[in-house]
Amino acid sequence: MRRVATGRSLGLLLCLQCRATVRALDVRHPRCPRCYAHLHSRKPHSLALTAALLICAAVLYIPANLLPVMYTRTICDDERDTIMSGVLTLLHSGSWPIAVLVFVASIVVPLLKIIVLSVVLFSTWRGSPRFRTQRSELFRMVEFIGRWSMLDVYAISLLVALVQIRSLAFVSVGWGALAFAAVVVLTQFAARTFDERLLWEKP
Amino acid sequence: MSSVIVCPSCDLAHRAAMAPVFEGSRCARCRAPLQGPENGNIDTAIALAVCALVLIFLSNAYPLVSMLYNGTTRDTTLAGAALSLYSQGHAGLAALVFITTIACPFLQILCLLYLLIPLSRKREAPWQDNIFRLLTQMRRWTFIEVFMLGALVALVRLSAYARVIPGVALWSCALLMLTLAALSSRTTPGQFWQWVERNRQ
Repeated sequence: MRRVATGRSLGLLLCLQCRATVRALDVRHPRCPRCYAHLHSRKPHSLALTAALLICAAVLYIPANLLPVMYTRTICDDERDTIMSGVLTLLHSGSWPIAVLVFVASIVVPLLKIIVLSVVLFSTWRGSPRFRTQRSELFRMVEFIGRWSMLDVYAISLLVALVQIRSLAFVSVGWGALAFAAVVVLTQFAARTFDERLLWEKP
Repeated sequence: MSSVIVCPSCDLAHRAAMAPVFEGSRCARCRAPLQGPENGNIDTAIALAVCALVLIFLSNAYPLVSMLYNGTTRDTTLAGAALSLYSQGHAGLAALVFITTIACPFLQILCLLYLLIPLSRKREAPWQDNIFRLLTQMRRWTFIEVFMLGALVALVRLSAYARVIPGVALWSCALLMLTLAALSSRTTPGQFWQWVERNRQ
């Protein structure tokens, strides 16, 4: 590997709060002189925390997709919708651009996020030197698009608020929605606890 | 120490450009954004924050969507979405919706005004560092733009069964989304602390 000057090799700390560059001093708990945030050379317990959060998210991803997220009760029939069947309903009602949007946001993005984070985490743990730039870019992309998975939760919350015509139609939330929201929140935290700089270091 | 910039994504050290950056630079190794563009006028930021505050009041005071069904109308506000989840026994989900669509956007704007108004008069607000840290957290959990798209999806799903009419709050939410995006790009941590530093010198 080519020798390059890094913050660590120059004895510099970066404040992740205000982006100030600070000379590392030999004190126990260094703080940023500009914004008084705690300074760490690397995020503490980064890999372990990310792994734990990611495992929780992966486990919850199963009920999120299997449990119904929404119950629709009308005079003629009772319907229970999982996320996938919601997408299919949209597809059959003829609004395929919206169906594709929901499919990407609530099925592709969470799955992609879990897979990409696992790959990045595992390869960082192994100290793999290959495709560093690509992995780093992939991680940033996934971190950026992660929030869009909340789309279906908001759509359901609005449907629940609107469709409450006592005897005619009634929509209620299922536990799948909670599991789904938990997956989104956990993966957001997992992306945040991961320190990208570890990806660029030798094991 | 301002002559060296360390990449937050890969720890590579860069020599800082002396001239102010206008278009934003990227890390030479991992391509992460290194320095945001400095289009920093503090008064513009305050104006945008005041505008966002007005829009957030509008988005909460007026109905988001109304539905016409067999001669009866039903409408819901932004808070109504969270409340209906709560009344169905899903308190956790209700809290999440409330925090990401009402509490965080509102507190974010209040924090920003609290920090920027004294700063524009060459003073510093008490607990500036803690409030700014709070602001960064609030920003991460502001999902207004996702909510807008979610509302669109709900509208399309409902329009198959009933007549739906977008309300005032939906439009002001859309404007709020744009205003917040403009606001956060003008008040990045780097930019904010640069204002503070210029103030201190």
